[in-house]
Amino acid sequence: MVLTHTTNHTYSHPFPTVTLAFFLRYCSPQLNPFSQHVMSTDTLSSHVDLVTGRLHTTRIHLKKSRMPPAIMKMLPTSITGGATTEKASYILETSVVDMKEGWMSTESRNLNFAGVLSVVEKQIYTIPKNTNDNGNTTDVATTVVFRSRFGERIRDKLGHLHTHEAEQEKGGFFSRLGAHGMQRSIESLASKKTQDQLGKSREGMKLILERLRQSGIMGVLELRKMARERNMEKA
Amino acid sequence: MSQSLAKECNELKERYDTCFLKWYSEKYLRGTGTEQNNECSQLFKQYSSCLQVALKERGIDKLLDEAREELKDSDSTYMSKKKS
Repeated sequence: MVLTHTTNHTYSHPFPTVTLAFFLRYCSPQLNPFSQHVMSTDTLSSHVDLVTGRLHTTRIHLKKSRMPPAIMKMLPTSITGGATTEKASYILETSVVDMKEGWMSTESRNLNFAGVLSVVEKQIYTIPKNTNDNGNTTDVATTVVFRSRFGERIRDKLGHLHTHEAEQEKGGFFSRLGAHGMQRSIESLASKKTQDQLGKSREGMKLILERLRQSGIMGVLELRKMARERNMEKA
Repeated sequence: MSQSLAKECNELKERYDTCFLKWYSEKYLRGTGTEQNNECSQLFKQYSSCLQVALKERGIDKLLDEAREELKDSDSTYMSKKKS
């Protein structure tokens, strides 16, 4: 069971600025109110490839309520661990920037609950070809793939030899048909929610891009520092 | 950036992030950023050693290993598409 959702968008900002905004998009909820649900962001690795000159970066984000509550309610506590109140999910983000060739590719996937629902978002940012905008716009193609492996996971891992056992284990709770119906519901619920969120994440990118246009990177760093200090005073 | 997932790493993360964003916009985007002239490497080492402990404590290192296995497959298909 797989559901795919594809969208295209053009930012009216140059490619280098858009890639910078990608790294900055969760920098501060004061600068991007659409990132209020992002609780933390950490860099796991970042390096420039010696041969290609590409920058490879891996980050991990903790986001609130990535799993729609409607899905949590559908699942037995044996799967959620009764964790209906803990609605946060770790997201692994990998990105590659190639300044010479003028593209950036990104991928985000959820780390927990992946057995119930895996959401993989891929984006490719490119400089539009054959336009007369002097490099002032950037295209982005977004593909989101929803895959519920609800009831399949054990079988996949053990391979065909153990199919029978896995069937039995699964059959304890849902029949084969039940699991498939469940997968479909989970995917379509998640897809609906994600389409709303894609719009918001684009709005967030636009806010950061406007800030960069107005005050440049040093200005944004300054604003971010001020917001952070205000927060520390409050705390 | 927003916070680190581990409070105790916030200060180190903040220093690294600021360094990275400056390096990225002033060097990498201008085509002069290389691994050798990356002045943030030392800051990253400090931040990373703090973070690794936190990832282990929370069991996130195991989640990451699982995801990396899956990523290997999707990476190879994606990069071959890119070349066309």
